[in-house]
Amino acid sequence: MTMTHSETKSARLSGTRIGYRFNIVGMVGLSIILFWALVAIFAPLIIPYPVGEIADLDYFGPMSPDFWLGSDYLGRDMLSRILMGARYTVGISLAAVTIACFSGVVLGMIAAVAGGWLDTLLSRFLDALNSIPSKLFGLVVVAAVGSSIPVLILTLSVIYIPGAYRFARALAVNINAMDFITVARIRGESTLYLIRSEILPNIVGPVLADLGIRFVFIVLLLSGLSFLGLGVQPPFADWGALVRENIGGLPFGAAAVMAPSFAIASLTISVNLLIDNLPRKIRDRSE
Amino acid sequence: MNNRVLSLVLSRLLIALITLVIVSFAVFFATTLLPGDTASILLGQAATPEAVEGLRKAMHLDEPAIFRFLRWIVGLMQGDLGTSYANEMPVADLIGGRFVNTLQLAGVTALFSVPIALTLGITSAMLRGSLYDRIVTVLTIGVISVPEFMIATSAVLIFAVYLKWLPALSFANEVTSLADLLRIYAMPVITLTFVISAQMIRMTRAAVIETLNTPYVEMALLKGASRPRMVFRHALPNALGPIVNAVALSLSYLLGGVIIVETIFNYPGIAKLMVDAVSTRDLPLIQSCAMIFCLGYLLLITTADIIAILSNPRLR
Amino acid sequence: MNDKITNWTSSDDVMVENAIRRGATRRELLQMMLAGGVALSAGSLVLGRAGHAVAATPVSGGALKAAGWSSSTADTLDPAKASLSTDYVRCCSFYNRLTFLDKSGTPQMELAEAIETKDAKTWTVKLRKGVTFHDGKPLTADDVIFSLKRHLDPSVGSKVAKIAAQMTGFKAVDKQTVEITLANANADLPTILSMHHFMIVADGTTDFSKGNGTGAFVREVFEPGVRSVGIKNKNYWKSGPNVDSFEYFAISDDSSRVNALLSGDIHLAATINPRSMRLVESQGDGFVLSKTTSGSYTNLNMRLDMEPGSKRDFVEGMKYLVNREQIVKSALRGLGEVGNDQPVSPANFYHNPDLKPRAFNPEKAKFHFEKAGALGQSIPVIASDAANSAIDMAMIIQASAAEIGLKLDVQRVPADGYWDNYWLKAPVHFGNINPRPTPDILFSLLYASEAPWNESQYKSEKFDKMLIEARGSLDQEKRKAIYNEMQVMVANEAGTIIPAYISNVDAITTKLKGLEANPLGGQMGYAFAEYVWLEA
Repeated sequence: MTMTHSETKSARLSGTRIGYRFNIVGMVGLSIILFWALVAIFAPLIIPYPVGEIADLDYFGPMSPDFWLGSDYLGRDMLSRILMGARYTVGISLAAVTIACFSGVVLGMIAAVAGGWLDTLLSRFLDALNSIPSKLFGLVVVAAVGSSIPVLILTLSVIYIPGAYRFARALAVNINAMDFITVARIRGESTLYLIRSEILPNIVGPVLADLGIRFVFIVLLLSGLSFLGLGVQPPFADWGALVRENIGGLPFGAAAVMAPSFAIASLTISVNLLIDNLPRKIRDRSE
Repeated sequence: MNNRVLSLVLSRLLIALITLVIVSFAVFFATTLLPGDTASILLGQAATPEAVEGLRKAMHLDEPAIFRFLRWIVGLMQGDLGTSYANEMPVADLIGGRFVNTLQLAGVTALFSVPIALTLGITSAMLRGSLYDRIVTVLTIGVISVPEFMIATSAVLIFAVYLKWLPALSFANEVTSLADLLRIYAMPVITLTFVISAQMIRMTRAAVIETLNTPYVEMALLKGASRPRMVFRHALPNALGPIVNAVALSLSYLLGGVIIVETIFNYPGIAKLMVDAVSTRDLPLIQSCAMIFCLGYLLLITTADIIAILSNPRLR
Repeated sequence: MNDKITNWTSSDDVMVENAIRRGATRRELLQMMLAGGVALSAGSLVLGRAGHAVAATPVSGGALKAAGWSSSTADTLDPAKASLSTDYVRCCSFYNRLTFLDKSGTPQMELAEAIETKDAKTWTVKLRKGVTFHDGKPLTADDVIFSLKRHLDPSVGSKVAKIAAQMTGFKAVDKQTVEITLANANADLPTILSMHHFMIVADGTTDFSKGNGTGAFVREVFEPGVRSVGIKNKNYWKSGPNVDSFEYFAISDDSSRVNALLSGDIHLAATINPRSMRLVESQGDGFVLSKTTSGSYTNLNMRLDMEPGSKRDFVEGMKYLVNREQIVKSALRGLGEVGNDQPVSPANFYHNPDLKPRAFNPEKAKFHFEKAGALGQSIPVIASDAANSAIDMAMIIQASAAEIGLKLDVQRVPADGYWDNYWLKAPVHFGNINPRPTPDILFSLLYASEAPWNESQYKSEKFDKMLIEARGSLDQEKRKAIYNEMQVMVANEAGTIIPAYISNVDAITTKLKGLEANPLGGQMGYAFAEYVWLEA
């Protein structure tokens, strides 16, 4: 979301040129993300076994021609489970992190620019929200509105909005004290303008870095919430849950626990590398 | 300026107090939303209606929850944390030792992780785009993408089961020497450092890079200031606000979020206590733990806010 | 065959063991159990090991440390409220019962010297002399009456209030003799009194956290949710305990519990995950596994008074659809015995061996589902981690259902509050039943028309009458015949599918000696602390 904003900001900020150039590392990151996105979309077509089928008599089976990534603790095909898991991990995490960071950053900037009671009110409200233990929060959500994928996405977002808000506000407050903001204010620019054209371009780098880290957290928290009965229902499982349910295979170095870990790492590292290596155009400041 | 800071601190304390009250009510309503109460949960499978009714009466759970909650608040004001529903022990006794354990673990972890994280974050910002920077990034993200329980379990397998260098369990109450302390804290602290450092490293790096790009730092560079001097004199003070916020957010995790580490190393802290309390709907215990978490969190972020304001002359 | 377990997890051993059992007479079977109980190993190794364990002489001293798997701030030393295995283990170390079950499942006297009756209605309990509580008070009839009578008071919150309700009259005949009157004749009273909740506490006790009992250990530390430490009771009326102190706590994470054992931090890790057995075995001679099949099970319940279970054909279909062999093989990894949809396990004297488990038959299942009109619908099945292995079982059943076009919508719900919110309530859900020593208790709690935990709402007047008839009879053979028929009725008529009896495996260091199996559960019926010893 933040990316879109910076792209569409008015031409006076920088001589807008369409077409961005990625460096090599950025390209690699982007292609891995695209790869997983494609996997997520086409997973049902390419999985070798149905996700719930117990295909192997043994458990924590090794990699073999029949089971490319071995079998899990029940003897299910690990490759199929990871391919299907991509849908949940990639989809849910991206949606949640986008909502969390968009809301957090927008609120943070508003609070910083508006200041006064609005700032205090928002800050304290979100602090209070962040102080409620997440297990209690998760259980209350299940009890109150039940369990579904949209509820899961919203819950994850709500858990991470206060953090995104706090960080964005801290950045924005610093920018807000700069001379060019004062000048813009005197010029009579609206709050919306200040946020969009003066503050955001100046904090977009750290905000994107924050988004990258938060993405990792959400990928991992996802599995924790499914144990509270929130969200992804068996036989499907997100990658974090796959690691968790096969943790017993760790002493044997089972593929069932290694493969989903590598999947998580490949996705999260790619997202962060991509963010670090975004073309300067997107990240650059306005002056 | 001192007066400014003093009035700021005072007003923030007042606001913190109000926040505490709000959180307390929020937690109370959340708890009442949960199905079941202490009596029915303690009885578990044996919870027939008559049995639940009898136990509820005996535990004084038959009066409306809001009265019990208000009574708890009144007690709190007199310094009494109340009595646990689940085992009829004073909440203060239940929390006491475990809170100290949590603070110890959090303290050691903070002492260890914050300097490392800041160093890594600042250096990789200074050397932005270099191989060093890339390696730090990949390692940082790689390390936090591994779920916490996997790091902890791997550590136990390697250091306790195969090498037998360290104990698999961390009993906080059997420390007699410094060597013991190191052996016991080594694995939990390493695990937690892995978990919380990443956010600090990444945020520090991003914030420093952002300030390095500001015109006045560029100006300083043009004037011929050395790179390290530029970072420490010009960039860092300006990036301090976001950095201390990231540090505060990361450290707040050490109070209530260490449930996995507490479980795997069998370390009796308050995160597990809170989880227990929620499972048994033990209102006084839930409230007391929530107050501790909230207080700790507010303390951290208020400190961060004040540092941020002091570090930026324009905000003073 | 050498002395080391080489490939325990291949289910061969279990199958051999089961085959022997099925062919064996009841008497031989009991003997098998006697040995199989001590199953520190499997198959032919069982006897050798068992003999070995018995032959060794106990050694005094040492600090015993053991870990169970669940503990919370609700941990209690009040035997009436005890609900987790952790509570049972602690209560067993601080208190005694009037009777206890030996490894063959026969009640033996503990604090009682003799328990007698003529009509199974009025019972006379003679107490052992010279027994004192930890605080020095001698054991009298008043303590026993206080301990038993508490269960009838709803404000105590006793877990066995329903079972205790049949004890209607208590009389102290003299200081050492108690007379108990039952509402109806029940020949099982000595076995009932061996349940962990009927531990004897001192008359008038209100603060149970002190653990003031007559048991082998005196409470030194008790921190709910953290740990307990007991010191050897110097005035213990039995010989023992062998160890100087006993520390018990819980490590809820499966891998951590095993790792703590392997790293030498603890001597016993209770109830390990079957998938951890390979790890324990790979560590060589330092560790052994102790297996018990005591009759706990996880079952799939269909309420007969609600859709879809109200359609007879749906229930029939499900019974054919459950692949019991696969559940034992994949979900339990061989650590279980295929169940035949009734709660009396092969470990029990009254088990009906002629009642065969229903074979997996998707074709027949499909036929019944078609008749019930269930195909094409999505049927919610509630599962939770609260019931041991329920999610895995649900996965297996769901996969079989998908193949014949039945859509089972497995809903994983939080373990938190499961018993209160879903168990007994949802139309199709999982339950989990702990071992109970007698068929009478199982049937009265789970299958009688007015049973408090009638999981499938099974109602049969005939069944109720048979239950009362068997209860009052002192004729063993007659009871056996009645119970056998009742097992058939439950298996065919009730809506509870019991796919397997789950075995329990405790992992111990070889330094720990004297651990035997017990039909009341793992860890020697939770009472291991006073019997085991540590080799130097």
